[in-house]
Amino acid sequence: MAEETKNVAAMPNTEGHHLDKRDVSRAWFKWVCLSNTNYNYERLMASALLASFSHIPDKLYPGDEQKRIEFMKRQMEFYNTEPHFGCIINGLALSMEEEMANGSAVTPEAITAVKTGLMGPFAGIGDTLWQGTLTPILLAVAMPLATQGNLLGPLLYIILMYAIMLFISHFMFFTGYNSGKEGIESMMASGSIKRLIATASTMGAIVLGCLANSYVTCTSYLQIPVGEGYIDLQATLDSILKGGVPLAITLLTWYLLKKKNMNSTVVLLILVAIGVVLGATGLFGGTAA
Amino acid sequence: MQITLLQAFLVGVVYYMGFVGTPWLIGCLGSLSTIQKPLVAGVLVGFILGDPVQGCIIGAAVQMPFIAYIFAGGAQPNDPGLAGTLGVALALAANLEPEAAVAISVPIALVGTIVNVIRMTLDVTFVHMIDRACEKGDMKQAVFLHIVPPQILCFVLCVVPVTLGCYFGVDAVNGIIQVMQGRPLYTLEVIGGILPALGIAMNLRTLDRPGTLIWFVFGFILSAYLGLGAMPIAIIGFVIAFFYVQLETKAEEGRGAAAPQIAATSASTSRVASDDSDDDFE
Repeated sequence: MAEETKNVAAMPNTEGHHLDKRDVSRAWFKWVCLSNTNYNYERLMASALLASFSHIPDKLYPGDEQKRIEFMKRQMEFYNTEPHFGCIINGLALSMEEEMANGSAVTPEAITAVKTGLMGPFAGIGDTLWQGTLTPILLAVAMPLATQGNLLGPLLYIILMYAIMLFISHFMFFTGYNSGKEGIESMMASGSIKRLIATASTMGAIVLGCLANSYVTCTSYLQIPVGEGYIDLQATLDSILKGGVPLAITLLTWYLLKKKNMNSTVVLLILVAIGVVLGATGLFGGTAA
Repeated sequence: MQITLLQAFLVGVVYYMGFVGTPWLIGCLGSLSTIQKPLVAGVLVGFILGDPVQGCIIGAAVQMPFIAYIFAGGAQPNDPGLAGTLGVALALAANLEPEAAVAISVPIALVGTIVNVIRMTLDVTFVHMIDRACEKGDMKQAVFLHIVPPQILCFVLCVVPVTLGCYFGVDAVNGIIQVMQGRPLYTLEVIGGILPALGIAMNLRTLDRPGTLIWFVFGFILSAYLGLGAMPIAIIGFVIAFFYVQLETKAEEGRGAAAPQIAATSASTSRVASDDSDDDFE
């Protein structure tokens, strides 16, 4: 026992090449700033991961050129996730790098597996919560003010966006770093992440319904002469279902994307074509007579 | 109003600052989430052209088709950034109404997607240069290659077309708007009106859970018939979602606990049944 301890102590790494809180914070902040500066079709955010860890090899492998090169190459694997929620993976990868440098059983393959396994799910969660839920809500709050020319609208939007998202990404990065692989796996298994996604998705779907009603617009000003009077097309449509046309168009768009697997550009062109038909025929659009 | 060359250049810089991945205002938060939004870009362009309040009004209008815009995995259905900069600048200079501003912004946003495709293709070159830096273990060079050359490229790709567009575009826009008075302009407005459906549907697709569509219709009806705004509906939505998911989890746990029992029971009944049939044969 005593001999073993002595042997271990003789190895260079066991004095511990540990990262302090400042190193982790720097990695987080560099990541948040640099995640997309070299965004490309081949490996997306790979070089961003490397750039955000640029101060790490000096801490973990001081003076070891070969280890440093290996470390750098490891970060250059394909990586793509949502930068604020997804950086829980960066925190996790960093803690695994630290463990590996200190002689634990972590292998480079394990780090790759964790990264590739988690980046998809967290990109989904992140984009849903950030771009799909939070952004439209904040925009919908700010836009009525801005429409009246009130500059506080955009200002409010900016302040809330920064405050909320910086808090979240800092929290996620440190959660990933502190809880480690087992922590995150048990978090995924315990179902708390699943419940969070389910709650956010349900809420998101309801909010998107509200946005579809407020912002997808397709109003008819057509008046069809019938005998003495007119039939007001819009009033007729409203009496069936308020907002029925925008709702139908949104559902059709969803159907084309989801069920027909069309790519967004094709769907966009279809929407433009629908707009041309509805507008050019005079059925929809224009001004009140 | 005529846009000076300096003003045109500055509008181009606003477009660059809002382009996905510029690092200067804390990465995607400052670009994708802030300056790229016509709501924010409109105010900045307004300041450059000397009328921030009108810029704010036009920016808010141009924001509408892109309210649920989502940029995911490098796929960009349209480019609100170009609509919010070039579109707003041209609308301000040509003195357009907000509705007409939306109409000219929509085709501009479609053209804008090209910039991102070019950029993400050319950036591949730098990845290979960074690979070579990694072979040498040269961290300084790797970081430099990750930031400086891609951003210079991005700056050029963004600023040049917008500067030219602003500088030479005002007369063109005036002419186009003159020609398109009436039905053609209404048609563009209709297209601008249904365009938010794309962002909303793409978001619905990412949510992708059973029942998503039902909750979506529910939110739509709440808004259409009760006239509630986004914030109250978000809060109502959260309360409903919270309890719904709690009940769902309980139901799943209940089912999980019940399943072995059911299996056991069915096994025993089948044995009983087979016993019975054996009896019958005897």
